[in-house]
Amino acid sequence: MKKVITVCPYCGSGCKLNLLVENGKVVGAEAANGKTNEGEMCLKGYYGWDFINDTKLLTPRLKQPMIRRQRGGEFEAVSWDEAIAYASSRLKAIKEQYGPNSIMMTGSSRGTGNESNYIAQKFARAVIGTNNIDCCARVCHGPSVAGLQVTLGNGAMSNSMNEIEDTDCILVFGYNAADSHPIVARRILHAKEKGAKIIVCDPRFIETARIADLYLPLKNGSNMALVNAFANVLINEGLYDANFVANYAEGFEEYKAMVAKYTPEYTAEITGLSPELVRQAIRMYAAAPTATILWGMGVTQWGQAVDVVKGLSSIATLTGNLGKPNVGVGPVRGQNNVQGACDMGALPNTLPGYYDVSDDAARARFAKAWGVPSIPAEKGYTITEVPHKIHEGKIKAYYIFGEDPLQTEPDLGMMRKEFAKLDLIIVQDIFMTKTAMVADVILPATSWGEHENVFSSADRGFQRCYKAVDAVGDVKDDWEIYSLMARAMGYPMHYNSAKEVWDELRGLCHLYTGATYEKMADFGYIQWPCPTEDHPGTPWLYEGNKFDTPSGKALLFAAEWRPPLEKLDNDYPLGLCTVREVGHYSCRSMTGNCSALQTLADEPGFVQIHPDDAKKFGVKDQSLVWVSSRRGKVITRANINPRVNVGAVYMTYQWWIGACNELTVDQLDPISKTPEYKFSAVRVEAIDDQKWAEAYVRETYSKMKADMRKAALN
Amino acid sequence: MNRFVIAEPQNCIGCRTCEVACAMAHKPADIPMLTPENFRPRLKVIKGARVSTAVLCRHCDDAPCANACPAGAIVVRDNSVQVLQERCVGCKTCMVACPYGAIEVVTVPADMPSGSVLKTRNLKAQAIKCDLCIDRAGGPACVEACPTKGLHLVDAAVLEATLKARREQAALVDIPNLPL
Repeated sequence: MKKVITVCPYCGSGCKLNLLVENGKVVGAEAANGKTNEGEMCLKGYYGWDFINDTKLLTPRLKQPMIRRQRGGEFEAVSWDEAIAYASSRLKAIKEQYGPNSIMMTGSSRGTGNESNYIAQKFARAVIGTNNIDCCARVCHGPSVAGLQVTLGNGAMSNSMNEIEDTDCILVFGYNAADSHPIVARRILHAKEKGAKIIVCDPRFIETARIADLYLPLKNGSNMALVNAFANVLINEGLYDANFVANYAEGFEEYKAMVAKYTPEYTAEITGLSPELVRQAIRMYAAAPTATILWGMGVTQWGQAVDVVKGLSSIATLTGNLGKPNVGVGPVRGQNNVQGACDMGALPNTLPGYYDVSDDAARARFAKAWGVPSIPAEKGYTITEVPHKIHEGKIKAYYIFGEDPLQTEPDLGMMRKEFAKLDLIIVQDIFMTKTAMVADVILPATSWGEHENVFSSADRGFQRCYKAVDAVGDVKDDWEIYSLMARAMGYPMHYNSAKEVWDELRGLCHLYTGATYEKMADFGYIQWPCPTEDHPGTPWLYEGNKFDTPSGKALLFAAEWRPPLEKLDNDYPLGLCTVREVGHYSCRSMTGNCSALQTLADEPGFVQIHPDDAKKFGVKDQSLVWVSSRRGKVITRANINPRVNVGAVYMTYQWWIGACNELTVDQLDPISKTPEYKFSAVRVEAIDDQKWAEAYVRETYSKMKADMRKAALN
Repeated sequence: MNRFVIAEPQNCIGCRTCEVACAMAHKPADIPMLTPENFRPRLKVIKGARVSTAVLCRHCDDAPCANACPAGAIVVRDNSVQVLQERCVGCKTCMVACPYGAIEVVTVPADMPSGSVLKTRNLKAQAIKCDLCIDRAGGPACVEACPTKGLHLVDAAVLEATLKARREQAALVDIPNLPL
């Protein structure tokens, strides 16, 4: 048996593991002694590898290029030459007729790795000539990147995941570590054992709330009010670090004026929290010699998200909890390589290495390296703007790479309607997905385990994944597919290996220059910035309290609280919040094909509802129910759960039948364009004929799986 | 004294890695993949309003399940309570007797002897419970897999060491002299 070192392809914890390989087939996984996981793994790490072997439990692997010549028709298997010729000639025609900005692309924050994301954005910028490339950071930690880049200068975690256990206080805000990152949850437990104070702000009584010193069950949609109240108490009670603020921060007077009215008494009605509890919490945070803030989707998936990120960053700044070990701001990234896709410039406003597209010098440097006259200076579209831009006739082609927007974006009914108007949909993936089902061209790629690459974990750590097995079928590495497309469109692009791609990339970005494949060998862990080859990497940012903002100072920022867009009424009396489930990942095309994980939790998923609401709406535990919003209606199973709050229900977003994104509202944060997944008005209705309902789910599921297999021609 | 696996609720994050590890460790080799039908973890993660923890067999020294079993199918072996599946008749008395809800009777497909005249149902009853992965080289799979190290195998030596440490703490800790 051969053991191959790799990094887990789920969540951003960056756990190292060994894939066990026998006769050219992956047969198991064991935890390895990586920097972040130290020999531990969660169930996805241990049992999340068998999708590689094409189990077809949910959907089949793609094994040959395919073209659908007519919408609604069947796919037809073709050679790579034909697929590339077809896709590139149609892209070229669209570019000529409507201009480069009529083409939209995605990066992929998943198993493909950094090299392919670098090449995808190079294809967009150098070959197509557009900044229209974005990745699922948009629907996840986009607000953290946008907010922190403004306040501190870097959009990533300021400190390392390992440091979490040596901090004296953890403020957990809208972040369910146990379900999202079990290996980070373990760090929080260690911190508690070592005597750290734990404060949890979350409407649900999450696992971390069980070990919290203070638990603040705030109302859904009141984040900004609570963060402003924290700032108000810090200032009014003189708990902030006046010296730090005077020397290393700016904007204090405006900030102070903005939070002046947000006393805990004023915010009590908005947040539902007693003023005394709010005061105790922020006093506890301020009193700690070192304190860390961790946040997740509970902060970012709101119409007011960037403001709250900036607010949390300001709390850390006010108390001097930056620029040293065991402190800081921690937006813990949800997908294994969403940090990496951002690092590589799969964003419409930044080049690789976070050079802004408006930076003339950076653009000129990249243009020269890529051998093109220029790179466009105007920002591209975000993935959440895509349906609107299609509607306006501005986007004509969508080249989708390792994402499944027809499962993961809000208001899927509207998405499907707009997708149908596109002239060309290219899907480059490893699985048949809901999105691939409507594609005109399918370009099949190698999976994690079948190629080598680098991932970036949530704390900016670059790590290498080695190739374990050869792919089955006529598939290619993603960077090679882009190279074929580029050459077909007249741009000379050729690489012999992922390492060659990586070396080009690190030569162009001062943040990554020193992160060589050699230094990342085996268990090497290089955290950017790593500007030179003799640099060891940077576990924590802002040494000497020097921030990467234009002025070198941290910006203090607060904004007026805004309520969520959707209003509850008699027809839709409950607030739906979409959440995550520990055993599944993203659109589920990977974990849904892993036997252990799909056995643990399968369609149609659950809606978590408080016992009082269940009683009110006549819902029985484990029964099938309808959940409907102003946009759609889905069937799912009731999970009567005393840990959720009255008036809100929670659904996980990976189910294909119980698809909560049929219900969610397309309301975006004005800056980051991140959807308000955390608040849509819904109603829950009991179903009298459970026998019919069970049969309906069974039949729908069987048909869906059969259709996928048929479409994939296997 | 019988050995047992104990769960520490304060370290449980409810991730159910232990359940999958258990089901995988007990999956018959001829079944290629876990399915809902053969997913039978012998420990269950229970999440109440305020507690999350795994519940499993305590390997009681005076085991109610063994006392209740009319077929003599539940025995003590290697300081643990084990089921002799060939003797189980599926009467479910053990399920009723167990105060922890840690033993369950299931029916599994069985190969009937070839040439048997009385070929009835090809099913066999089994009482399944934690067997401490008694035949597994690495010991209990759940203990090994738990990412927060919230499960522990306890035997007489571990318990004695704990008691000793607690006695020492009680005797040696600096407490004020209190009148009786």
